[in-house]
Amino acid sequence: MSDEELAKDLGLVSAMTIGIGTMIGAGIFVLPGVAANTAGPVVVVSFVVGGLIAMVNALSVSELGTAMPKAGGGYFYINKALGPMFGSIAGMGDWMGLAFASAFYCIGFGQYLAEFVPLPEIAFLSPIQIGALFAGLIFVAVNYIGAKETGGVQTVIVFILLSILTVFAIAGFASFDYATLAGEDGLAPFGTNAILPATALVFVSFLGYAKIATVAEELKNPGRNLPIAIIGSVGIVTVIYAILVTTMLGVIPWPDLSLDAPVAQAAEVSFPASISLPGPLPTIGGVAAAAGAVMTVGALLATASSANASILASARINFAMGRDKIVTNWLNEIHPNYATPYRSILVTGALIIVFIAALGRDIEILAKAASVLHLIVYALMNVALIVFREADVPEYDPDFTVPLYPITPILGAVLSLGLVAFMDAIEIALSGGFVVAALVWYFLYARNKTPQQGVLSEYIRSREDELPDQVVGAADAVAPDGNDGPTIMVALSNPRTESSLITLAGALAKHEGGRVLATHIVTVPDQTSLETASENREQLDTASEKLLTAAKADAGEFDVPIETKTILSHRGFEEVFDAARSNDADTVVMGYGGARFAGGRAEGTLDELTHDLPCDFLVLDGQDLDLSDVLVPTAGGRSSDLSAEIARALRDTLGVDVSLLHVVDEGEEASGREFLTEWGTDHQLGDAEMLVETGDVETAIEQMGEGYSLVIIGATERGLLSRIVRGSLVFDTIDRLETPVLLTERPTARSLWERLFGRR
Amino acid sequence: MADFLANMTSGSEDQNQDLLAHVLLPVAHEEDALATATALEPYAPERVTALHVVEKGEGVPDKTPVEQSEEIAAESYAAVRAVFPDADEHTAYARDIVGAILDAADEVDASAIAYRARGGNRLMQFLSGDLSLKLVTESDRPVIALPRGDTAE
Repeated sequence: MSDEELAKDLGLVSAMTIGIGTMIGAGIFVLPGVAANTAGPVVVVSFVVGGLIAMVNALSVSELGTAMPKAGGGYFYINKALGPMFGSIAGMGDWMGLAFASAFYCIGFGQYLAEFVPLPEIAFLSPIQIGALFAGLIFVAVNYIGAKETGGVQTVIVFILLSILTVFAIAGFASFDYATLAGEDGLAPFGTNAILPATALVFVSFLGYAKIATVAEELKNPGRNLPIAIIGSVGIVTVIYAILVTTMLGVIPWPDLSLDAPVAQAAEVSFPASISLPGPLPTIGGVAAAAGAVMTVGALLATASSANASILASARINFAMGRDKIVTNWLNEIHPNYATPYRSILVTGALIIVFIAALGRDIEILAKAASVLHLIVYALMNVALIVFREADVPEYDPDFTVPLYPITPILGAVLSLGLVAFMDAIEIALSGGFVVAALVWYFLYARNKTPQQGVLSEYIRSREDELPDQVVGAADAVAPDGNDGPTIMVALSNPRTESSLITLAGALAKHEGGRVLATHIVTVPDQTSLETASENREQLDTASEKLLTAAKADAGEFDVPIETKTILSHRGFEEVFDAARSNDADTVVMGYGGARFAGGRAEGTLDELTHDLPCDFLVLDGQDLDLSDVLVPTAGGRSSDLSAEIARALRDTLGVDVSLLHVVDEGEEASGREFLTEWGTDHQLGDAEMLVETGDVETAIEQMGEGYSLVIIGATERGLLSRIVRGSLVFDTIDRLETPVLLTERPTARSLWERLFGRR
Repeated sequence: MADFLANMTSGSEDQNQDLLAHVLLPVAHEEDALATATALEPYAPERVTALHVVEKGEGVPDKTPVEQSEEIAAESYAAVRAVFPDADEHTAYARDIVGAILDAADEVDASAIAYRARGGNRLMQFLSGDLSLKLVTESDRPVIALPRGDTAE
């Protein structure tokens, strides 16, 4: 098994218990009393409507989760699709939503705890708040220490809960009375208009399913298990809610249902006070009280597991945000002894405590604030799904796809935002405050830290010509500028070409305000293990060090930051791609010899690799560069754009003279000149010498090229690099020309995804 | 490769097993790795394999995202290599850390396990399950407790 598989240890049942365990605590044990009070018996419909909204979103989460089984869940998808500004909102929304939800669960815990033990009232805190604070502190402490035992308990708790609830449902069914359910004022005493506001209140009972997605990377077979667990757990809890809430309301008239501990109350009524056993056996008394007590214990377990799962999930979101540098990684440090993300847990814990203390008197505010924040995230998540599909990112390849696209995600977004409208002003204001805070945070802090750019803004920027200026301008205005300039990676293999390659990279880095990453990729034959190779590292080190020190010195002349790296690999050329990806390189500069080196090996993989360039590639043929003037033959196109950029960099940093060459057929010189002048102006090379020649392209390049110190040729079609590598490129020009040639290839939009997502 | 080297050492004609022929070095994180490796250095082991056990929930979500755990593993190995440049690395994934250490020792055929006690007071040791005690009682090969030195944690 690979390491990756070893790290996946959550099966379907475990995944489902995460979802069900988080959701069931709130819906059954805490809210029925309060919700019934606002809507009457139709509150059952409110629960079902909530379940349906959750289900639509569950479908979208499943698609996104199977496409990207990464820690972080909703935040991660939104950040990838819509960019870090919305990512910040989503991260903040998810995080605060979880903190509000945890505070809500803690209050629920406090309510049932207060049934058991008398709690004092201290200062402005009610006894329930005292109980909740106590619970909050315990949950935070348990997560801080990361006591392993809590983990195993979760599954057990969920099964105990389901059994308790089943017994309760059966007993309740026996004492169910439709007259009690219908009550004196009918099923909808407040009218059907009360259904949706009640849904807004109880929606917090459905907030668990997305947590499954936050641990997607730990799931076995996520393509199958993730959707089943997410959709299944929403389905199961919706049914449970419908049955149990109906039962409760058929046992106790809704106006009498306890606001604090409804299930315990209903259980006491459902079960007979005593059971008479046949024959000589004594009568067992106190059954009802015992049932009430069992329910209370169940409620404590349920709310505890909900809170626990939420605290853990919030640490995942912090980690994902830290990975994208939206929050500082300080937050995600691991405790040296307990191996827990203790700082994240403490900060979340502090928020929970504050929310309990400040808002805990009104459980509705906590519940709804949690829902509003989550609903905002869900709405964005649906938009993210649409963006992924529409931007047609080929690597976006979910195992599960939502039915009825695009209706489902649009419906999900509309329903989510629609439900927000039924919340009260205070929760909306509170959540709005956090959204604003997230925006402020993004512009003040995260914007110049995060290197991430969303698929959406890449999409908009790559279609600059087709889209209205305002749209492009807006995308530019909010785009991150954390990636201070590009990374120019140089793949060094030969000391003789080192200086030329570094010169090119240095000029480019200086021009673009980027940095140079000089790598020495040492190819180790397959027969030699990497360990053995590293045993010979002394020799290697000396060679590598020499090369890289020379690189440093050469780059120093350009006054650009340079980093160096030695990479041992079995796979010479392919390693260049890997290194380019893992180091987020924007341009790779390498020697022609280095590329040819790999010729003949594993053509299939190479084809795949070279057809999917991770970034711009510059391949230099020639050892000594003495740059004084360069020739750029062009016929337009993507890679010519790149050639122009290089020429510009050389002109601006080294004062090199640039000549542009356009070859046309006999008699078309005038239009050729027009094209070239326009092209030059477009590429800020208007001051270059414009040469228009007629005849054969290669011959012209050859003849003209002789007089220059470098010829920069853009790949006219995709796959140039793969042909060089395989040695099948029939480009006599390069061989015949004494002048060094720099071949440039710019990837098509296809591999954008790879730059955003890294290797999969 | 690991087996090949191990055979070379243990298979040489004097079966006189050197305790430090191949030391398995379980490390928790970068700092711990550096301290542990430094503590072992004076005894000049012939061969060292650094081990990091990624703590798994096995049925429940982990305390930390896998990605982060693997980053920590990589940092730990780098720290060990700062002291023993040729150290091998071995990553295990398990809920039972001690069990994983013993399995790893088997797998790489270590001559001994060298570790540095994590410290912490009694309560904390109890809560995190006293690893030292379990390791020395359950191991089927020599366990070397390295001095903790003055490093304050």
